[in-house]
Amino acid sequence: MKIVVAVKVVADDQDIFVSGDRSLDYSKARQIISTYDTNAIEAAAQLAADNDGTVVAISASTTKADDTKVKKDILSRGIDELFMVADDSLETADSYATAQVLKGIVDANASDYDLILCGDGSADLYAGQVDVQLAAALDVPVINEVTGLKVEGDKVVVERTLEDEVEEIEVPLPAVISVSPNVATPRIPGMREILAAGKKPSSVEGLAGALETKVEVEDIKAPEMTPRKNEIFAEGDIDAFAAAVAEALK
Amino acid sequence: MKALVLAESLDGQRDLCAGARQIADEVVLAVVKGAPQTGIADKAYDVELPEGEAAENAVAGVQAVYDAEQPDVVLIEPTPRNKILGGMVAAKAGASVISDVASFDGDTVTNMYFGGLAEMKQKATGAKFYTVAATAFQPGEATGTDTVETIAYTAPAKALVLKGTKEVPREGADLTKCDVVIGAGRGFAEEADLQMARDLAAKVGGELGCSRPLAENVDWMPRNLYIGVSGLNLAPKAYFALGISGQMQHMVGVTNAETIIAVNKDQNAPIFKQADYGIVGDLYKVIPALIEKL
Ligand SMILES: Cc1cc2nc3c(=O)[nH]c(=O)nc-3n(C[C@H](O)[C@H](O)[C@H](O)COP(=O)(O)OP(=O)(O)OC[C@H]3O[C@@H](n4cnc5c(N)ncnc54)[C@H](O)[C@@H]3O)c2cc1C
Ligand SMILES: Cc1cc2nc3c(=O)[nH]c(=O)nc-3n(C[C@H](O)[C@H](O)[C@H](O)COP(=O)(O)OP(=O)(O)OC[C@H]3O[C@@H](n4cnc5c(N)ncnc54)[C@H](O)[C@@H]3O)c2cc1C
Repeated sequence: MKIVVAVKVVADDQDIFVSGDRSLDYSKARQIISTYDTNAIEAAAQLAADNDGTVVAISASTTKADDTKVKKDILSRGIDELFMVADDSLETADSYATAQVLKGIVDANASDYDLILCGDGSADLYAGQVDVQLAAALDVPVINEVTGLKVEGDKVVVERTLEDEVEEIEVPLPAVISVSPNVATPRIPGMREILAAGKKPSSVEGLAGALETKVEVEDIKAPEMTPRKNEIFAEGDIDAFAAAVAEALK
Repeated sequence: MKALVLAESLDGQRDLCAGARQIADEVVLAVVKGAPQTGIADKAYDVELPEGEAAENAVAGVQAVYDAEQPDVVLIEPTPRNKILGGMVAAKAGASVISDVASFDGDTVTNMYFGGLAEMKQKATGAKFYTVAATAFQPGEATGTDTVETIAYTAPAKALVLKGTKEVPREGADLTKCDVVIGAGRGFAEEADLQMARDLAAKVGGELGCSRPLAENVDWMPRNLYIGVSGLNLAPKAYFALGISGQMQHMVGVTNAETIIAVNKDQNAPIFKQADYGIVGDLYKVIPALIEKL
């Protein structure tokens, strides 16, 4: 069984700062795997291990993601090979454009795939749309919010958890499946896995043609924060704190 | 201008049709699961879904509505099923869905970026597909006719097979309607310790919610009770953040709270910058003391 997992590399939001003019300052931010994509990687690795399969990671990224540490991080999580397309025009690529690039990577390197796993949504936009767009581009079925999956011949039976019901759905392969973080707990790669990752095959290519975007970004700015009183008490001042809370609850 | 509303829930149908009326002079509604409500749109489409079929299999029906109506804008209620149905139709139109639009200014729409760290203004260059919650619009009345057209079901070539459905009972209060909400975070070491938070809730007449990790990585709380960018958006009179660090993805859900009260043992926790009243201390000591003194 051949599994593909789509991994988005994003700036670590812990280190994105808001500048004086409310624009975002990324200069201190490392590139990391988008949080919930680590769960998708783990699900892919486990599925491959259980079904005698292989798993390759694909990513459409800016050139900043072409970073040894990030690539090793991806490859140390049970992934056999990484195919990345890196181009700075992908910085603001919309989900349609992103999916076209991912389809290009799949067609060129993994056209014999059985299953493509995507994460629940990226840390920056959380759109949950790249999976749908990719399925449309490849003309295969898609399902999202998947919390469990089991391979049965040429189908995958998934558990899909919605707010008020759980569905059991049989998905014919090949297909794109977007998994919820609950699907698997990401491993913490050890020294051995990280060293081995350095020897695994990975390729980074530029963008073949111009990017066809459908959304133009006009402006990105931090919102005005709701002003708060910021009255902070020490643990010993519990009486004063309780009095302030009681007053606020009136 | 013509708007097509793709909605699933009854509230979603009514609220998005009312909202659509504020930006469009013609409003068309399409509903896949169940019959559409009447009197809220100029025309409603009942996109047929045979009993026992997965909703996503009805994509051809939604496509047929889109093709027949050629709307200027599609407003989508952001449910997982609609993300697929709406996303598929957008893909066919060579467009991207812009997610969770919070406000409109002509063709320029604003949504959140990095879980509320920033707001992004953007514009779709081609067909316009937006997922949107009712809160993006001014409150308004939905008006319309009783016209309903049925679109017959066409199965897709590679259909999903729905093998079973299990209902998940709703647990907990409707936090969107509570004046006082207590949020519990990873500062709680054990599930049983949440009783302390429940006791505080009982004392102040509030209800218990949580940060996402308590509903997901561990199953201490039901999924419908977590607060934040991917969960609930609340505007209570008072919000207590207990052992919550104050990450943007969580805080976006309570920016409209009148008063924010924080308990955290780390004086550098970001929550204190966003709190009205905070106490730097161990919640295991502070909460019982607070209950006693209130
Ligand atoms: C400054 C800036 C502005 C942007 N503006 C817009 C905009 O206005 N509109 C817009 O639609 N997009 C915009 N993007 C691009 C956006 O970040 C995404 O690349 C794209 O829109 C996908 O949406 P998403 O990130 O919400 O992914 P989701 O659809 O939430 O991602 C779902 C899953 O798809 C997979 N996936 C997503 N992206 C990739 C990828 N690049 N490589 C591999 N796998 C992937 C992952 O498995 C992920 O978990 C912008 C990006 C930046 C940095
Ligand atoms: C795409 C995306 C979407 C997300 N959506 C959401 C969302 O909608 N809602 C959400 O909540 N999160 C969301 N998250 C997760 C979010 O980024 C944070 O990880 C999460 O909110 C942290 O939860 P927490 O504050 O409970 O835990 P932590 O960040 O671990 O904080 C625990 C806090 O408890 C304090 N503490 C520990 N012990 C004690 C003690 N004894 N007494 C007092 N204080 C103590 C610590 O100092 C710490 O500040 C999302 C993340 C991503 C990437």
